[in-house]
Amino acid sequence: MALKLGPITLPWPKTEDDPYWERFLKSAPADKRNAITEMLGNQPEGAVAPVRADLHTPEITSTHIKELALYVGSDLTGIARLPADPDGYQFAVVCVVKAEHDPRQAPGIGGQVPVMNGRFSTFVLGAYIRELGFRATTDGNPNPDAQRLAAAAGLGRLDAKGRLVTSKYGDKVHVAEIIRTDLPLAPDGDLT
Amino acid sequence: MAVTVEKLDKPSAEQNGNGKTWAKIDLVNPPDLGRSVQIVGEVVPVDPNEGPHPKNSRGELGKALFNYYRNSISKDPLSRVGANTHSADKRNVLSENLNKAPKGEINPDRVEVTDPEAMSRHLKRVAYYLGADAIGIAQAHPTMMYGGRRYSEDGTTTVESSEGEGPEELCRRYPYLIVATQAWDYDKLQAHRHFIGDAAYHVSQMRSNMIMKALEAYIRELGYTALRATANPQAAALAAGMGELGRNGMVISEKFGARVHMPNAIQTDLPLAPGHPIDLGVTDFCNICRKCAITCPTNSIPFGDKVEFNGALKYKINWLTCYKLRPYTHDNWGSCLTCVAVCPFTKPNTWWRTLAIKTLTTPPVALRPYVVRALKAIDDRFWGVMKQKRVRWMGYDTGIKPGEHACTVAGCTADHDEAASKVQGDVGFYAPLKENTNRFVRRDV
Repeated sequence: MALKLGPITLPWPKTEDDPYWERFLKSAPADKRNAITEMLGNQPEGAVAPVRADLHTPEITSTHIKELALYVGSDLTGIARLPADPDGYQFAVVCVVKAEHDPRQAPGIGGQVPVMNGRFSTFVLGAYIRELGFRATTDGNPNPDAQRLAAAAGLGRLDAKGRLVTSKYGDKVHVAEIIRTDLPLAPDGDLT
Repeated sequence: MAVTVEKLDKPSAEQNGNGKTWAKIDLVNPPDLGRSVQIVGEVVPVDPNEGPHPKNSRGELGKALFNYYRNSISKDPLSRVGANTHSADKRNVLSENLNKAPKGEINPDRVEVTDPEAMSRHLKRVAYYLGADAIGIAQAHPTMMYGGRRYSEDGTTTVESSEGEGPEELCRRYPYLIVATQAWDYDKLQAHRHFIGDAAYHVSQMRSNMIMKALEAYIRELGYTALRATANPQAAALAAGMGELGRNGMVISEKFGARVHMPNAIQTDLPLAPGHPIDLGVTDFCNICRKCAITCPTNSIPFGDKVEFNGALKYKINWLTCYKLRPYTHDNWGSCLTCVAVCPFTKPNTWWRTLAIKTLTTPPVALRPYVVRALKAIDDRFWGVMKQKRVRWMGYDTGIKPGEHACTVAGCTADHDEAASKVQGDVGFYAPLKENTNRFVRRDV
């Protein structure tokens, strides 16, 4: 039984004898269709509900969206105002999940777990906003502004390479797909 | 077709398609499912097409249920995202999308497994890494297998070369069953018979679906076959030692109680080391407790002893009356979950829960009834005989009676015309109330 004190584990953590672990993290699937991120990413988005739900103020709607995001697995959630969106969306909901391994360097099914968790939360959130009767889309991802939007939404700062560094998880984070939406929300910051 | 329990002359002489010998399976003895369920007679494989949902979608359960299942859209936006049968647009439901995605091929570059124990440890670690809360590996047995054409409600069916093979052949070619699952959130589950409880149910259902899909894909990437919807996941979970079967017909898991999903098991030929049934004292507890039977809004849970049903000695719930309540309550909730919420085993996964299980399972069976009575008294005193806890989440509030209008959101400045007086107290209201259901469901059914 190990005692966990934040990052310190007592007794000293043993390296687990698992000959298949590296392969799980690092080896990209031989068939792309076996990647869960592929399965979740290629379906058309659902329709917007024709009747709009009765909403509270933008501030309260924002807390509801963040509560739902937390529940569906987004570790940090922020909202940024989009200055000039080609499709007319006003806000971006940014979900950030913690990533033990950088998904950019770990293409295996295990290495892509943060991407999977991110897709799960953005899918459910986007679908929920559409069912509330407002437009929401994850089209246009990967978004070139994703890291900047996350910083604008108050989730952290950008380092010299332009990557998000958060106070809670450091740079071990993955910025999930950006949800662009019309839902009246109270933004945490503006993208400048 | 019945599975007969008989001795094989040549247990493992034949070769399968991959040039490997078929696994030996024990057809002499029935599978060990622990103390809660015993196989005592002939088991006829259950055709999943004769289950509640497929029956209903064919209209065999009457108009009201058929309309509820096929033609109704939930008025709650979060339920429309979670339940594919009550959604406005199925593309907004994650499981539906996941199931439509094309399946990948089995990796021809197979990873040879020399030590099944190591592979089992690895697979469990993988499942936990993917987000599962519990995983079990069981040895497949013909009595656990489904019969007939394969079906699964969430569309996770995989019918490959196995079509037309009997349960015994399937078990020999793919001798292991894997069940991985995620528990429902404890706090949200307190709002059983409410949209909050539905959210707990649906979100972890979607997540377990995703975890199982990822696990299935990973097994294919290792170079082995992964079949879905071939076996009863509850039987597999019992044999794997994930838990025991309770009076409410739910698998009561080691760490979470009854609040776990049982997604369709993966059946595979990946060499693994199967687990063994565990003793949580569920049998001793269910013998005495009956809390689920008392609170069930439809009286579908038996008060009596275990019965033999299809060769298995177990508690048999009345699924039809359980199902028939749903059209009446569709405006208020989709998933009842009362028997799960009220079960004394359903608690947060904490040290005191582990301690209580230890207290229950340490004494010999003859002394356990006394421990059960004490533990049940504690449960009644501190968690309540009926669950009436008020739960607030995302603007939902169970303190508002069904049908009434009120806004209880702190700091809400929105203009609500119909907002009623302030809601106070810590009591939650869950429709329908027990006295109402007693009017249309007879107690002795």
